[in-house]
Amino acid sequence: MFHRALLLLTLAVAACSAKPVPEPTSPVPDLAGMYSDPPNTALDMFCFFACTDVGLRRLEALLDDPANDAKPYTALSEDATRHQLDEYLRPHLTEAALGAPMPDPMKDPGYLHCEPWGFARQLFAPHQLEIKQYPDRVELHYGEWDAHRIVHLGERAPPAERAHVPMGYSVGHYEGDTLVVETTLVTANFGPTRLWEGLHSDQLTAVERYRRPTPERLELTARLADPATFREPLELKKIWRFAPEQEIAPYDCEPAAPKGAEGKTP
Amino acid sequence: MKPSALGLIATAVGVAALAPAFAHHSFAAQFDGNNTVTLDGTVKEFRFVNPHALAKIDVADDKGTVQEWTVEFDGRLNLTNFGWTEATIKPGEHVKISGNPERTGVPRIFFTKLVRADGSELVRGGDRQNAIEEDRRLRAAQRAAAPAK
Repeated sequence: MFHRALLLLTLAVAACSAKPVPEPTSPVPDLAGMYSDPPNTALDMFCFFACTDVGLRRLEALLDDPANDAKPYTALSEDATRHQLDEYLRPHLTEAALGAPMPDPMKDPGYLHCEPWGFARQLFAPHQLEIKQYPDRVELHYGEWDAHRIVHLGERAPPAERAHVPMGYSVGHYEGDTLVVETTLVTANFGPTRLWEGLHSDQLTAVERYRRPTPERLELTARLADPATFREPLELKKIWRFAPEQEIAPYDCEPAAPKGAEGKTP
Repeated sequence: MKPSALGLIATAVGVAALAPAFAHHSFAAQFDGNNTVTLDGTVKEFRFVNPHALAKIDVADDKGTVQEWTVEFDGRLNLTNFGWTEATIKPGEHVKISGNPERTGVPRIFFTKLVRADGSELVRGGDRQNAIEEDRRLRAAQRAAAPAK
């Protein structure tokens, strides 16, 4: 009797503490298709890699100031990029991350040796992204590095004793018009290109939210947390244009330099 | 060795192209965005590859001595967005090709513009820069037309 009561109590506690997987309350949003670089507008192109609300607001203010009408777009976007670095990204970094030496761009293992990017960089890779939706999973295929990800729908967490890998393990569900993806078990690697390129730790976790507000547009808002790197989670955005005319060819990468020749011009 | 006459024209320019295209390494660390070099030569090879497409150009100096230059482009993925293919630049073509020079002085540039023998041009970034500036003009016109607050 006591054992039965204990079992029931244990089950009840487990049921209360387990993270519920939200059931879709509306039809699954149609996100499937091929996407590529953002629409050619001044604001959208700012999110070619990753962008922030702070940077977007700065750029919008610059664009709306008649005094800037004669200035080239690159000058305004560089101003907004600096602004989001100073006002948003650097204040988010821990002392350890701020003190760490920045990776030498001439020794980028991707450029030099065709080493595929890790999760945080791949998430904001430019160019093609193809989404395929199935009842039990969503497949994400990136043009950059020909990288593939699987988002396991309906799972709450990675299977036990799963190892850390460069692209991590992703589970997901739908919330209204949005695909929500949670990723863990990512190995330490570089941050997004052109925004924050320092290293993150293997404690990195991410919550991505994909929505398609119009058939021609896909938007991502990603929240990256890593206590070793960020004081508080970082929120980054990205935009793609629906591009059914595009296809993803094999990456056919040619290394810029042989191993051991880092930093030398090929 | 320097390329000849028409071969090398150093001009101070701004970074004309859209910065985001440099996904794989730091442009500023490797190339001098404030100067442009123009090569007059023959395409030896065009490799439509990632992370950056590459061309080899033979450039002859005044004495006919040929030097091979390397031209680096955006990657195949990016160029595909502008309709480029592996046949966009053909071996044997005579071209005038401009770009930002490598800082170390090696014969290597990052592509900004190509002019073919028939006068047709390929420009880095295609129509993207024009489309963005058109978007800005539209914003400015809407701002001017809006009633004062």
